[in-house]
Amino acid sequence: MATRVVLTHGTASATLAPRLTLADEVVKFVRTKPLGAAGAAIILGMLAVAASAHALAPYDPYRADYGLQFARPSLEHWFGTDEFGRDVLSRIMYGARIALFVGFTASFAGCTIGALLGVTSAYLGGKVDLLLERLMDVLLAFPQLILALAIASILGPAVQNVVIAIAIPIIPRAARVVRSAALSVKENVYVEAVHALGASRPRVMLQHIMPNVMAPYIIIVTAQLGSAILAEAALSYLGLGAAEPTPSWGLMLSGSALSYAEKAPWMPIFPGLAISLGVFGFNLFGDSLRDALDPKLRGR
Amino acid sequence: MRTYVLKRLLLVVPTLLGVASLVFVIMRVIPGDVALLILGGDAGNVDQKQLVAMRAQLGLDQPLLVQFGTWLWGVLRLDFGTSLWTGQPVTEELLIRLPLSLELALLATLVSVLIAIPLGMLAAVRQDTWVDYAVRIVSIGGLAIPSFWIGILCILALVIFFGWGPPLEFTPPWVDPWANLEMMLWPVLTVGYRYSAVTTRMTRSTLLEVLREDYIRTAWAKGLRERAVVIRHALKNAMLPVVTLIGTEFAFLIGGLVVTETVFTLNGIGRFVVDAVAHRDYPVVQALVFLIAFSFVVVNLLVDLTYAWFDPRIRYR
Amino acid sequence: MATVLGRQRMLCAAVLLALLLVPLSVADPAGAAETPRRGGVLLAVIGADPPSLDPHQESTFANIQLVAPLYSTLLQIDPYEYPKIIGDVATEWKIAPDGLSYTFKIRPGIVFHDGSPLTAADVKATYDKIIFPPEGVRSIRKQAYSAVASVEAPDAGTVVFRLKFPSASLLANLASPWNVIYPKKYLDKDPNYFKTNVVGSGPFKFKSYTRGSSFEGERNPGYFVKDRPYLDGYKFFISPETSVRAAAIRSGRAYIEFRDLPLSEVDAIKKQLGDKVVVQQTPMVGQFGIAMNNTVKPFTDIRVRKALTLGFDRYTAGRVLYPLTGLRDVGPLIRPGTEWALPPAELETIPGFWRDAEKSRAEAKRLLAEAGYPNGLKLVLKNRNVKLPYQDLAVFVIQEWRKIGVEVENRPLETASWFSDGRDTGNFELIIAPTVEFMDEPDQFLNRYTTGAPQNWSRFSDPAVDDLFARQARAVDPVERRKLVHQLQKRVLEQAYYMPGLWWSRRVVHLAKVKNYVAPPSHYTNQKLQDVWLSED
Repeated sequence: MATRVVLTHGTASATLAPRLTLADEVVKFVRTKPLGAAGAAIILGMLAVAASAHALAPYDPYRADYGLQFARPSLEHWFGTDEFGRDVLSRIMYGARIALFVGFTASFAGCTIGALLGVTSAYLGGKVDLLLERLMDVLLAFPQLILALAIASILGPAVQNVVIAIAIPIIPRAARVVRSAALSVKENVYVEAVHALGASRPRVMLQHIMPNVMAPYIIIVTAQLGSAILAEAALSYLGLGAAEPTPSWGLMLSGSALSYAEKAPWMPIFPGLAISLGVFGFNLFGDSLRDALDPKLRGR
Repeated sequence: MRTYVLKRLLLVVPTLLGVASLVFVIMRVIPGDVALLILGGDAGNVDQKQLVAMRAQLGLDQPLLVQFGTWLWGVLRLDFGTSLWTGQPVTEELLIRLPLSLELALLATLVSVLIAIPLGMLAAVRQDTWVDYAVRIVSIGGLAIPSFWIGILCILALVIFFGWGPPLEFTPPWVDPWANLEMMLWPVLTVGYRYSAVTTRMTRSTLLEVLREDYIRTAWAKGLRERAVVIRHALKNAMLPVVTLIGTEFAFLIGGLVVTETVFTLNGIGRFVVDAVAHRDYPVVQALVFLIAFSFVVVNLLVDLTYAWFDPRIRYR
Repeated sequence: MATVLGRQRMLCAAVLLALLLVPLSVADPAGAAETPRRGGVLLAVIGADPPSLDPHQESTFANIQLVAPLYSTLLQIDPYEYPKIIGDVATEWKIAPDGLSYTFKIRPGIVFHDGSPLTAADVKATYDKIIFPPEGVRSIRKQAYSAVASVEAPDAGTVVFRLKFPSASLLANLASPWNVIYPKKYLDKDPNYFKTNVVGSGPFKFKSYTRGSSFEGERNPGYFVKDRPYLDGYKFFISPETSVRAAAIRSGRAYIEFRDLPLSEVDAIKKQLGDKVVVQQTPMVGQFGIAMNNTVKPFTDIRVRKALTLGFDRYTAGRVLYPLTGLRDVGPLIRPGTEWALPPAELETIPGFWRDAEKSRAEAKRLLAEAGYPNGLKLVLKNRNVKLPYQDLAVFVIQEWRKIGVEVENRPLETASWFSDGRDTGNFELIIAPTVEFMDEPDQFLNRYTTGAPQNWSRFSDPAVDDLFARQARAVDPVERRKLVHQLQKRVLEQAYYMPGLWWSRRVVHLAKVKNYVAPPSHYTNQKLQDVWLSED
């Protein structure tokens, strides 16, 4: 048990005070984790497209052209047009914004709330711990999709509500992971020392324990990013995602895109590829980051 | 050990009670009125007086606490009430769907294990080589593809190229194994592949951990062949977390395959619960969520107890 | 260049399609000339489960399509000749000259599936349940029979309906496919017995039902029509996913989908199966429109209501939405092409139905400015989260309204919320709501524009409309009635209380081996399947 504590703590302080420069770290990451680097590249690409969608997109994603319904991919419309003659490429580019927004906010919100609860639970212990743990148990045992479905239909169909619906089921998962990491940190002599010096409880929690559970926190955030994007697609498929005519990837895939698969295969294929590639990038990156951050998994 | 078991068993009660209350509250907060759905339907020709009468008939005019109490008392006696939508006992409706869901979960778990364990081992032994990369790309890829998308495109491809469509009705395997297989094959493969990703990753990382322990290094130094070391020592020690994961996944699969069930026309628990939410069929949703949570909790309990059995340190925490 | 080519190709495709479909819908798909073959089980796919098996209490196709073959009705709509009314268990009927009593002769020798005879007492019990339902029993279509004072069964072979005032629609309503006849003895025991049980006198007997999966009926050897049915049985498979239902027909696992499949799926099926498949294209007794809530601002102002309807270019909508959704015809409040519909010449003088879209938009902007919205306004359109045709219609109309400066947000809701947090409670500004009935009957379609009617989604009250409705309902003379019905439609449309969108059409797709089924304009009628037969492959 003792060895593990030292190791976890050791990594965290290394991240806090890097001896290597950022550039060196990046080079090292790319060299030792080529898959992670590829994932990062995909994410950066997505970010770039999303950030400059207004400049990159050849057309207004909402603009219907009834003379050009179901146009096949051409020089004018690289990814073709959809049933209303809207440019699929432009919609995918704007869709990247929504996907990233949903992915990042849902995952960060869920994980951060979860992490705070986890740390509180671990640090305060006793009745608070028991209560919070039971609460997390309840949320964990509750079927994830039903929870999201219920929240989405209570709040109504809007992207920000979808974020809430996806974030809530993430909370107990993050809380559990962070709590167990925080428990090990708490037992550390160093924390006891800080405490003995008279630091207040919130201060100890935020300044001394939180930084030391950053590794599991980051791991779980990246792990949830991809699944949040997929969850949005699944909610859209069930009619509870973003509303038409929002260019959301999930929405572009669900509904009738699939029934047009033969007539206009570009309609389901490109958004599907966009989702798969995006989620793939996040998962690849997350997986490698986990390898890199978790001392037990470091390369030989 | 006995105190530990007792403690764990006791903790199950508040969790289940919590799930029961949460689902009850959530269902009442969602806008929508089953009486209106039944009476009006698409035509929407609803008479206000009839609506009030219908609510009373369904017992929805009772105070919420009374409704909750009645329901809980029923659950304690294993009586889950009748569906507001169909008027049939919930248990009966559930039994129609359960065999399919169980079979799907079982076979999909089996497939995922068959894929995951060899692949995970391979990736661990060859960490950071192209083999490792290939395994991870394949398994992470499975996790990245939206299941309804690939499911419908698969069906479409089979229809277009082979004129083959999935059967529309579930046949239990003991009645006609071939018809059963024909229906279950594709969903089992897609779900199995998808869930193998997580297990592969877990197998890989736990194996990596074990491989780094001293005794493995010792075995290694003794000159045994690499494969023998891995199988005999490492795998045995790495299996526990993997089994945990498989257990929880199985519990999830029983009720969590809504999208797959819709795409492949499977009349299972997942689709049933989503339909019930859509109909605001409170007793059905409550019963299903409760049962799904129950199986989840039981699997977790078993897993924890197994852990405690193998690792005495846990009992004293 | 590519655009031009694309357009030409589209046009070609449209023309080809029209050529393909028109002869099919005109030509007799039934193959009545061939000798019917006995035997075989008709396999069908359907998109949903019914809440209960009692058609008196339901209004969904998922109910009637499954159980219609198990029952008989008093009258029926001719399976080959919609909307002609013919007898079913009634052999003949007489209407008193004052229009206040209808006397029906019941065919002797009909037996229910449990072996008991069907008599006038059963018909009376059935209609009493529909018109005067006991406490705790719902009756969806009760209002349609408000003229009826009592139902009497003077002897085993005679049923008499006595009326409070003459009714122009009673005969049509007695041919309603929903009013299936139940044996009295079960109703006496439990009026809700038939929610979960079936005892009918139809061409088929109930065999099995597995919720969420399948519904099966088998041949009734004691059916009162000689030598019918041809089929040994029928079986519906239930699948909510449209592409799966289409795939089922393509792979031959099912032979027919009775309701509708999207045109894109129909094209694909046609392409793959060629002449092994038949597509019957019919108009539909249903319209998708938009209700404006007349009780809230800004729709209390007729100028705003008019502006929105003017801003909706229906003619372009029909062209664009037809291939996507089947929504096709511009029309008034009753299906265009029927005698009751306001004729096109008159319709096109009403704002919103002008042929010149630019002129309409200019007028819309002028009206909005006059009403105090020179910079346009923002509104929310509540909608059902079903893609076809709800969402597609919303996408189109939102794009249209943008052109007159009205920004509308589409808010799709789950069906349950769409009812309870919108359509049925009035919590909305704009809402997409269809009106679908089993027959082109003015009472069925126009009752919803009267004060306080539950289906008056726009929630307006106009005494002039109420008066016209009451008068047409009692007008036994068809010419007189037609005049009143036209006036009523004109009044509602000119006041822009409600915004009709497009009239629907449907495509019934079946394998060519399914013979003698004629798709009527309603997916509720002609579902008895007694004349349908299967040829060898």
